[in-house]
Amino acid sequence: MTPQRARTLALGVLLAGFAVLPLLLGDYWIYTLTIGFYYAILAASWALLVGYVGRISFAQAAMAGLGGYASALGVQHLGLPPVLGLGLAVLVSGALGLAIGWLTLRLHGAYLGLTTIAFAEILRITATAEYGLTEGSRGLQVAPLLTGGSRTEYYYLLLGVTAGCLVLMGLLLRSRLGLFFQSIREDEDGAASLGVNVTLWKMVAFAISSAFAGLAGGLYGHFVQLITPSMMSLQEMGIVLAMAVIGGFHNVLFAALGGVALQVLLEALRELGEWRLVAFGLVTLLVLRLMPNGIFGAAVATIAARMRRNGGDE
Amino acid sequence: MTTPQLEISGLIKRFGGLTALNSVDLSIGQGELVGLIGPNGSGKTTLLNIVSGYYPADGGTIRHSGTSVLGKAPHQLARQGIGRSFQITKLFKRLTVLENMLVAGLSDGTTSRAAATERAMGLLADLRLERLAHERAASLSGGQGKLLEFARVMMLEPEIILLDEPFGGVHPELKRFMHERIAAWNAAGVTIILISHDMGSIFELCARVVTLSYGDIICDGTPDETRNDPAVLDAYLGEQHG
Repeated sequence: MTPQRARTLALGVLLAGFAVLPLLLGDYWIYTLTIGFYYAILAASWALLVGYVGRISFAQAAMAGLGGYASALGVQHLGLPPVLGLGLAVLVSGALGLAIGWLTLRLHGAYLGLTTIAFAEILRITATAEYGLTEGSRGLQVAPLLTGGSRTEYYYLLLGVTAGCLVLMGLLLRSRLGLFFQSIREDEDGAASLGVNVTLWKMVAFAISSAFAGLAGGLYGHFVQLITPSMMSLQEMGIVLAMAVIGGFHNVLFAALGGVALQVLLEALRELGEWRLVAFGLVTLLVLRLMPNGIFGAAVATIAARMRRNGGDE
Repeated sequence: MTTPQLEISGLIKRFGGLTALNSVDLSIGQGELVGLIGPNGSGKTTLLNIVSGYYPADGGTIRHSGTSVLGKAPHQLARQGIGRSFQITKLFKRLTVLENMLVAGLSDGTTSRAAATERAMGLLADLRLERLAHERAASLSGGQGKLLEFARVMMLEPEIILLDEPFGGVHPELKRFMHERIAAWNAAGVTIILISHDMGSIFELCARVVTLSYGDIICDGTPDETRNDPAVLDAYLGEQHG
């Protein structure tokens, strides 16, 4: 079997597996997995920026929160239908992502990371303080996306959107833009010397990544029907980071799978309380040290090596 | 009188209190292969970095075929036909050799992937890297990395190539091959400015040699004139042959 065919088959099996899960699971786990799809888009959008462009950001959860508030307020105050509210979420988060990308063009490493933390905190504190608009820490009621929609319907909707986002990201990363992104990650001066507009594409990368995060946040709000500033917190960002790193942040699909897997584990280990987060922190450290391509990256590499060996033996 | 392909007038660059280039004038015609030599810190790489858009100038002008290039970004100059290599190669190590080439081939936004791939494979064959096309650039040897950087620059179809120490750490046999390719590209009409401390290569390849010292051009002549120039011997070659 060619690697291409194996990949297509694996993706088909994965999608079919997610499609039949609601037939086997109760409402609680269907709900948990649906939240997992929110994290999947969020972790994949972070991986797109960090893994492919090499630009670190700790504002991804804040961008999701911004998208959540933009969509909710768009529906509440502008009378938009929730679908158009999601469009507004994409636009608002994308536009702020573009602005952050522009403001941080010359920043790298720790300086870039610290600046994005500052942005994230500004957004979270604004959402908390602007009580008249957001109802602060009490949380903002959000209109449902599907009126009277069941958990299973939401499950399939978010599964479809997640798959669609991953396909879009995949197409983007296979295009010339994906090549430019990776050349910037490898060496900005080298990329510029070959005609790549480093300034433009770094800003575009922030905008695209933030737009996906905004969409995820909008979907989350309309599904859960309540959003609070805590979804923009650094602790939430830490969870997204752990999901992408443990899944494998050099591949948007692996990062997405990390999002779903860790959300399921977070629920399965609920009895451990805050110790779950300590455990995830330790696992994240170990994965960074031992499996830079994440657990799924390491697993796929092992399977591919075995297939090559078996192919060679024949 | 024809317009020089690259005309540098009164170019000044300062780093704090240090004057790296002190009102440099240099005119280079189409199809010339010019060697740029001088002791460490003489301003050679600074000059290249300004011509290719990486450093801003503090004074003076640079014109490419009559058009000012000062203030333009490196990617704009690359697309305008000014290609360059770096003293320490700047390969995209986690990308394949072919993908390294395609970054240059697709950066104009219009060339199709098929056309860029065909051109890339032709250039890789020309530089004996074809069989490594699908290997990661990280797996290349130092010499192969230098060749890949050559090939990437040629993907831009440049009018001028600025080569910064291309022979550093390269095996003599490979250096001979690089000489052949540089001479062939130059014969095809590409203007080349070559920085090197390898005087054998400079004197073999270049009909004109420009010597910089402390930001000033102290000699601009043929290899023979350069070899015998007292100022050059005093500032640079003397220490090489001393």
